[in-house]
Amino acid sequence: MSAPVRKKFFVGTAGIILFLSIAVLVVFVAFPVVLILFNAFWTKGAFNLVDVAAVLREPDTYQALLNSVFIAGGTTIGSTIIGTFFAWLVTRTDLPYKNFMKGMFLVPFMLPSFIGALAWKMLLSPRAGYINRLFMDYFGFDGPVFNIYSYYGIMAVEVMYLFPFVFIQVCGALERMDPTLEESARISGAGLFTITRRITIPLVLPSILSGALLIMLYSMAHFGTVAVLGIENGIFNIPTLIYERIHQSAGSFAAIRTGTVLATVLVVSAAFIIWLQGKVLGKGRYQIIAGKSFRPMELKLRGLRYPLLILCLAYIGFTIVLPTVVIFMVGGLKTYGLPFTMENLSLDNYKFILFDYKTTKDAIWNSVSLGLSAAVITMFAGVMISYVIVKMKVRGKGILEFLGMLPFSVPGSVIALGVILAWSGKFGVNLYNTVWIILVAYIARYMAFSLKANSAALEQVHDSLIEAARACGASMWQSLRDIVLPLVRPGMFAAFFLIFLPSLRELTVSIMLYAPTTRTIGVAIYTLNEDGETVMSAALAGIALVIIITGQTLITGLTGASVKAK
Amino acid sequence: MRFLICLLFTGMVFGPAFPAYAAEKLIVYTSMKESLIGKLRDGFVKKHLGIAMDYQSAGAGKLMAKIAAERESGTVLADVVWTSEVPDFYNMKNEGLLAEYASPMLAEILNPLDENVKGFFTPARLGTLGIAINTRFVKTPPAQWADLTQKEYQGAFGIANPSLSGTSYMSVALLVKQFGWTFIEKLRDNKAKIGKGSGQVIDDTASGDLVASLAVDYITNDKIAKGATLALVYPPEMLVVPSPVAIIKTSPNMNAAKKFVDFLLSKEGQTIIAGEGTLPVRADVTVPEAFKLPKPDDAMKRAIKIDYLQIIKEKENTVKKFSEILQGKS
Repeated sequence: MSAPVRKKFFVGTAGIILFLSIAVLVVFVAFPVVLILFNAFWTKGAFNLVDVAAVLREPDTYQALLNSVFIAGGTTIGSTIIGTFFAWLVTRTDLPYKNFMKGMFLVPFMLPSFIGALAWKMLLSPRAGYINRLFMDYFGFDGPVFNIYSYYGIMAVEVMYLFPFVFIQVCGALERMDPTLEESARISGAGLFTITRRITIPLVLPSILSGALLIMLYSMAHFGTVAVLGIENGIFNIPTLIYERIHQSAGSFAAIRTGTVLATVLVVSAAFIIWLQGKVLGKGRYQIIAGKSFRPMELKLRGLRYPLLILCLAYIGFTIVLPTVVIFMVGGLKTYGLPFTMENLSLDNYKFILFDYKTTKDAIWNSVSLGLSAAVITMFAGVMISYVIVKMKVRGKGILEFLGMLPFSVPGSVIALGVILAWSGKFGVNLYNTVWIILVAYIARYMAFSLKANSAALEQVHDSLIEAARACGASMWQSLRDIVLPLVRPGMFAAFFLIFLPSLRELTVSIMLYAPTTRTIGVAIYTLNEDGETVMSAALAGIALVIIITGQTLITGLTGASVKAK
Repeated sequence: MRFLICLLFTGMVFGPAFPAYAAEKLIVYTSMKESLIGKLRDGFVKKHLGIAMDYQSAGAGKLMAKIAAERESGTVLADVVWTSEVPDFYNMKNEGLLAEYASPMLAEILNPLDENVKGFFTPARLGTLGIAINTRFVKTPPAQWADLTQKEYQGAFGIANPSLSGTSYMSVALLVKQFGWTFIEKLRDNKAKIGKGSGQVIDDTASGDLVASLAVDYITNDKIAKGATLALVYPPEMLVVPSPVAIIKTSPNMNAAKKFVDFLLSKEGQTIIAGEGTLPVRADVTVPEAFKLPKPDDAMKRAIKIDYLQIIKEKENTVKKFSEILQGKS
């Protein structure tokens, strides 16, 4: 008698978890995306492709599409070359201070690229940029050395802050690569060039490609850099065009429609990129890894050791130290355009921003609380959903697997537009112009991170542990609470921080959703810059950098300590 | 661990909370910068001890979007609105959003607005736009608008993007009205630039990225006060854009709202406004000498006349045509 009852109970709990998981993904992710597609293709009560084509053929939209592809393409190529080269240098050569260098190359990950763009604007704007001025005033140049307000300027800045995507992937692949493959080639008499061409490159190619595709995806949908450096010269990409259109017409239907069509293009290209990446990686996993603990052979750089070290240091100095210093210095100026002398520099702006300026105080508070809330909610939702996908065997899981892929392929600007459509009163709930709409968007945006971290952790929990608990009479809930959750806690922690830190510097989503009191740090920096408060914007950017880097260091320390404790 | 989780939950619960408003609190939505509205608040609450006041300072577009969303949800939080976007006030009046209040101060002020909006919204400040020049690069200030088409300003004169800034749109529309589209085309031939916000073009001028820009008075004066090498000059045909103030019809604090409008238009309030480097609407208040602003009545005489209804109607086309010309598409 009791067995069927227990079974029913099991189905009940599982059913609830499944239902909740599907509900979360549908409400937060699928619904807004479906609304975008619906609004793009469905006009005047009928399916309408002609209008979509018309929107895409408009010179402005067409140009923005081309720009997005062109900028993303250039950024991807540049980042791939730089990322692969440095990855090779720090893993497979005898470069001095390799570990330190490796850490330094990861720093750009923490730096928001739009803050980088602001810094480079200060350094390389055509007439007033400090570097350009230096060359014009002291070296007799007629014109600027480099104009940052250009396609190449935008690409260069994006490369500087995005190349770690490739760097990390390739480092990982090179470190885990089975060195016996190379050794056997060497024993068989192959030269270095042949080994590199026939063994090494094919082995790491999937990682390179996967990193490159990530960059492509990111760059196509990236708002900040293009907004800071492009708009002035009429260079728009898809997200900046959506932003301008919606801003221009205060949310009129035509603007939203153009937005939805452009967003659809982003979704489709993102889905394609993700699919491609899946294919590439699927192949790669099969080939690469035979996790042996041999140290791969290191190439002796000989005479090039120190020149290459200097190159690395120069690169880091130029792309990380210089922009950061400029941000802090400009943040200390009384007003933009003054020379850096002692009498012009002070900490007044920093004090003002932290203690007196309502806008920035609100922004810091908003970002921190939004980040915490989004991270906590998304962390728990992510555990639940990953659990269903990885561990449970129930009917309807297929839908969830499909839905679970969605967050990975929906870019930020699309999410922002989607939540405007979904939560501005048309369906009974009006969150527009409140912090809640940003929170909803953050949950959708960062769900992918949480799913990734949590499913990785869950995959390591062997089913036998849960089965053992269940066999000893524990209920499903008990086995979850006492076995699964404690074991996946590191994954949950990882998810939390993977969400909390990036959300502190988020711009792409919140720029579309903010209201006067709901500016985030990113929005405040951007709008202060737009309003011509360059020094305030730089000072806030400096403070944001301090918060982010402190956070990152604390977390590395904390997680490092907890790993050691185990 | 437990503690950490508790901490996180507390953050989650109390995190995205709305600012709580007391019932007797006056709320002003304004696009004026914080230092100006802050000083006005201090002056106002000192005079009317029973009334507390809070404000939201943001771009006019953002504030209107917020009001629109608040109307959708049933209650408009603002009691008083004060921005530089005159067209918004016409729209709000047409939609029946504004209370009619004839302030006793009305007779004493300079009012460039139409007779038939009187009582619904009243200018509380006259915004002027001039040409900000970087004195390191421009030695002889431009005397005429036409000077901007000379070689000295080639590739280095900026106008804020009229689709992002209402003030910028207004000035573009007025310049087109006065000098025709050929003036904009000549600017294009001289490689004039579209900047972003109306403040940013001024900062770009201060840094030397531009040598001159179409500039709002108080932003420029603020930077000059901080030591920027800028000067603000006014050609004979002036761009004067009033910033109206209005009371929201549904305001639960009608009494306080009326007192605030009176205060704003009073000699006391206008003196604070003048002290921040922007033109008062009263002829009996003088702007501190250091700002080198024209006298309010003089500015009114030199101003290019504005037909608001036409300007509202033509906004989309004007912005589009302007961007197309300057970005070299026509």
